Amino acid sequence: MIEILGFFATSWLDPSLLFLTGLGTFAGIYIGAIPGLSVTMAASILISFTFKWDVNSALALIAGVYVGGVYGGARTAILLNIPGAPSAIATAIDGYPLAKKGLAGEAIGISTVMSVIGGLIGVAALAIAAPLIADFAIKFTSREYMLLAIIGILLVGTLSGESFAKGAFAGALGVMIGMIGLDPMTAETRFTYGSINLMGGVPFVVAMIGFFGVAEALAQLEQVDTVAIKQKVGRIVPAWSDVRRYLWLGLKSSGLGTLIGALPGTGGDIAALLAYDQAKRSTKNPDVPFGEGAKEGLIAPETANNAAVGGAFVPMLTLGIPGDAVTAIIIGALYIHGLKPGPLLLTDTPHLFWFIVGNLTLANIFLLVFGLTGIRIFTKVVECPRAILIPLIVILSAVGAYAIQNNPVHITWALAFGVMGYFLKRYGFQVGPIILGVILGPMIDANYRRAMIGAQENIGTFIYDLLSNPISFVLTCALLLMFVTQIPFIKNRKRDRLRS
Amino acid sequence: MKPNDTLRPGERLFALLLVIFAGYAFWESYGISGFRGLTTGGVMPMLASCVMLLTGLVFLSDSLRKPRAPDSGLAGVIAYLFPLRVVLFTLLVAIYVAAIPSVGFLSASGGLLFLTIWALWRKGPIPALLISLLSIGAIYVLFRVVFQVVLPIGSLWR
Repeated sequence: MIEILGFFATSWLDPSLLFLTGLGTFAGIYIGAIPGLSVTMAASILISFTFKWDVNSALALIAGVYVGGVYGGARTAILLNIPGAPSAIATAIDGYPLAKKGLAGEAIGISTVMSVIGGLIGVAALAIAAPLIADFAIKFTSREYMLLAIIGILLVGTLSGESFAKGAFAGALGVMIGMIGLDPMTAETRFTYGSINLMGGVPFVVAMIGFFGVAEALAQLEQVDTVAIKQKVGRIVPAWSDVRRYLWLGLKSSGLGTLIGALPGTGGDIAALLAYDQAKRSTKNPDVPFGEGAKEGLIAPETANNAAVGGAFVPMLTLGIPGDAVTAIIIGALYIHGLKPGPLLLTDTPHLFWFIVGNLTLANIFLLVFGLTGIRIFTKVVECPRAILIPLIVILSAVGAYAIQNNPVHITWALAFGVMGYFLKRYGFQVGPIILGVILGPMIDANYRRAMIGAQENIGTFIYDLLSNPISFVLTCALLLMFVTQIPFIKNRKRDRLRS
Repeated sequence: MKPNDTLRPGERLFALLLVIFAGYAFWESYGISGFRGLTTGGVMPMLASCVMLLTGLVFLSDSLRKPRAPDSGLAGVIAYLFPLRVVLFTLLVAIYVAAIPSVGFLSASGGLLFLTIWALWRKGPIPALLISLLSIGAIYVLFRVVFQVVLPIGSLWR
């Protein structure tokens, strides 16, 4: 127990880690708040600079940015009616009307306190649930890992995009990109076309920078002239009576947020929308109607999206399957440092697990401090026009892509992925599944081949193994269910039932 | 995200191009090791490209069912997919990437920042120049000094 406490407190006691966590959280608030910058974009650029650092320092900075960024989006949603991040879309519905009534400070204050409560509950859930899940996941074989990775990619595609087909297409495209290079088992070349650069494969960070950074910059060129309306900010520290009054709602939304965050492929945005919907249904007589400045409509999504951060770490650390796009990047950081996220991570490197738990807790405390201070400077910074931000994103993307291996070719690749991502986005494709495909593709390939070799390359035995093992059976059923629910007849019936 | 009920300009053509691309990817995947075995290096690429092909066909058939958008002519497609601002910006970025090996990272980045900020912000060349110089200074300190990234100097200055 004392050993665990020691691991937990690593970043609290080491001045450099303390500083990096604080810096990350502070920067995250601004990154999440500035429309045009996103936490995913920042984390993917940061990873290319921090891979030379020791793992604790890199994680402290990225985790801080993650926690701060999820919260930061709410501030611009309240002040400017522009959600800085997708997870703050629901926050704007009631947050901005509150600001228009001159209650911007109060709205920011209560959302900060509730975000911290949500964040801490998410971290507590991570500390309790992850060891239990990891104990169970030790029983997993190659088959289960292959199935889990496929489910993870498809879930991201289904939940975040317009249609299952588009999500699956994007995921498969990512898997194809992940296959480029030498086959690690046979050294056969795959899609290299004689290029020495391609033989080493496509670093997933380059793909991330291209799809999240460059593509987003190109997509935002259309909104370059958008001008936001500013609001006045009064007292920020919320009244204790308000905190007490909305605590139960905050706890309920935290539970929901943690659960949604823990599902592979979901994240703060879905958690926030569901929590908002839940609050709207469960609050019978709000002081102000929802949509016109109901505090319940502000608190529920804000608590849920921060709770989802802890939840997203659960499948990432226990199964090696990212909970959302940012944890997909953190998985990459762990791989770069020679660590393999999965059930053995908790038994082989418990110090790392408890370090992450302690670090996320610390980041939430920093969030409370930074969230309730510095609002005047903040309002000035977030007014930075997109006309300046977009070119800067491109430059940061270029230097990020280059820095991974000091290879200028990677800048060209990032640009090419960016253009590809721009076209896909224009037609309703999400880039999240592509990135998951790039990261999980090699894992699916290796585990499929191991499982097939175990079945003596016999399809019948392979299918029998899938259906005879209880865990594989459940996962196969879940996978089949995902396909079955997408059959037009069933989908239409479900939609009709929901409408009625 | 809700499915879009009307066709976006050029959506059918895009769906068709995706199907062709997926077919080509399948052909290339087949070329890796053919159908020699179930654990060869080409199996996973073939499976992935097969998924791309099937879902691409679903996307294409969906697009054929949807009603045409009023602005689905060539002009509409160009306006939707290739706004002048996006085309010019992408061209500038492509020139920037090509110029890095010869003029170096900092000079090329400075040039790109100045031109794009000047064009997009429309506050005149002086503010754009000041912001570009400030940004380049910050990038140099952050990446060269703090993160110790060896930025390309450029063959012209050697």
